[in-house]
Amino acid sequence: MTPGIDLQGTFVRALTDLGLPAGAAKTVWIPLPMVLMLIVATVSIFICVWLERKISAAAQQRIGPEYVGPLGALQAVADGVKLIFKADITPAKADPWLFIIGPAIVVIPVFLSFLIVPFGQNLVITDLGIGIFLWIALSSITPIGLLMAGYSSNNKYSLLGGLRAAAQSISYEIPLALAVLAVVMMSNGLSTIDIVNQQSQYGILGWNIWRQPVGFVIFWISALAECERLPFDLPEAEEELVAGYQTEYTGMKFGLFYVGSYVNLMLSALIVSVLYLGGWSFPVPVESITALLGISETAPVVQIVAASLGIVMTMLKAYLLVFLTILLRWTVPRVRIDQLLDLGWKFLLPIALVNLLVTAGLKLTLPGFFGG
Amino acid sequence: MLNFLKQVGDYAKETAQAAKFIGQGLSVTFDHMKRRPVTVQYPYEKVIPSERYRGRIHFEFDKCIACEVCVRVCPINLPVVDWEFNRETKKKTLNHYSIDFGVCIFCGNCVEYCPTNCLSMTEEYELASYDRHNLNYDNVALGRLPYKVTEDPMVAPMREFAYLPKGAMDPHDLPKGTQRAGRLPKDILAEIEAEEAKKTPANAAAEEKSSS
Repeated sequence: MTPGIDLQGTFVRALTDLGLPAGAAKTVWIPLPMVLMLIVATVSIFICVWLERKISAAAQQRIGPEYVGPLGALQAVADGVKLIFKADITPAKADPWLFIIGPAIVVIPVFLSFLIVPFGQNLVITDLGIGIFLWIALSSITPIGLLMAGYSSNNKYSLLGGLRAAAQSISYEIPLALAVLAVVMMSNGLSTIDIVNQQSQYGILGWNIWRQPVGFVIFWISALAECERLPFDLPEAEEELVAGYQTEYTGMKFGLFYVGSYVNLMLSALIVSVLYLGGWSFPVPVESITALLGISETAPVVQIVAASLGIVMTMLKAYLLVFLTILLRWTVPRVRIDQLLDLGWKFLLPIALVNLLVTAGLKLTLPGFFGG
Repeated sequence: MLNFLKQVGDYAKETAQAAKFIGQGLSVTFDHMKRRPVTVQYPYEKVIPSERYRGRIHFEFDKCIACEVCVRVCPINLPVVDWEFNRETKKKTLNHYSIDFGVCIFCGNCVEYCPTNCLSMTEEYELASYDRHNLNYDNVALGRLPYKVTEDPMVAPMREFAYLPKGAMDPHDLPKGTQRAGRLPKDILAEIEAEEAKKTPANAAAEEKSSS
């Protein structure tokens, strides 16, 4: 396994060569990937919204947004600008502090989780030892924000929506964590980089989806429920609860919930591609391609090509999953709240436990295949 | 123990079935994405209303004999007929006539029963207004003819599904001069008339003679 392109190392070396102390050079480097990741996450909202509207339109034999920007690509920008200029109303009897903090608490952990999303061996903000656990921990902060938003709105629909959101997130967190645990057990590490490296040795055949098909399905269903995507969008079921916890929100505070939900969708898709679809790895290992062509893996051109290929692959896998969610949205009807909790507690949880047990057994009996 | 195993087996079977059905549903939605849009981009494209379209009612003031049949056949007695009896001619003279399209259900009974055919249905359907009182059309407003979609330079007229040529599913980009499937009513009528004329040439000749 080659370390691949190392932007940080090169950047820091270049600055120290210019005469900066090593600490200062590192400090200059730190904000760069963060800002880049923020931009990636923000742009992904617009891409997701555009995909959502266009694919929904195609599934219903419509055209979708067409006039704002090329092929309607700027429709989400126009909507966002509109939301910014709308009156920002706080209901008279709402709790102003919780009402304001709610959306922020929903959005911030989602953006924070991008810390651990890798786009290549060194193309990640931080390679944390607890990696994927950080994501699970951060994603369970979100329901607190939803509960705050619902509770402070002083509206029965908001409260019900907030409670439902909290119930849903908590019950789907468990199978989600158990599915992740099975993967973690196979790769002997929580770090997202380790998880990808462990699957990327044999190209597409080594991806975790072949060794963890059940885990993949459990994770995917739970991730959909975490993102409150259809068929699990009960907290904002408009036929029952107006708009759930968003009912009393206006302007950009309302927009923040949408920002949060779309970034969360993108994040979940990225995490699924990291955990089960080999992250940045190409279906054929890059090492074998370079060996076949007779080029050194450490040649700068190869490194740049491999790094960009990694980024493209990660994005491609994530957007394929986003496409699948949008298609699912128009295929599957919304479940009832009792069916939702039944599915979470009585179906996904036992299956996730069995999956974990089987993975542990296989790891002991076939350590070669299951990362002994 | 066996019972428990059977339960587990049934549960697994149900799960597999549910997964299969979701897969079928996904294939249906995926298939729909390949199909062309069926929508008409309304302000820029409009569907040509069919011949029997029941739009805003047209009224010809001079034909009306103020008999009030339209009022009697109307489900809610909607048309307002304001007339006076002229003692010299012993006829009613019509002063005003109005229909409130905010209340009208466009059933066409008045058009059907009007003895002098002074009422007719137009193809106009864009009656939107900022004030519902504007929908109360008087005899002047009722006498206006609608603007034809096919003659509007701002609008691309789209044919309805039944008026497309055989096999065509999409009204966009049809080649010029294509006709709808089947024969047109006027052709059928012409044929029937020709046949009639052939069948009874003597009668027709006699009729022509007597009329002249």
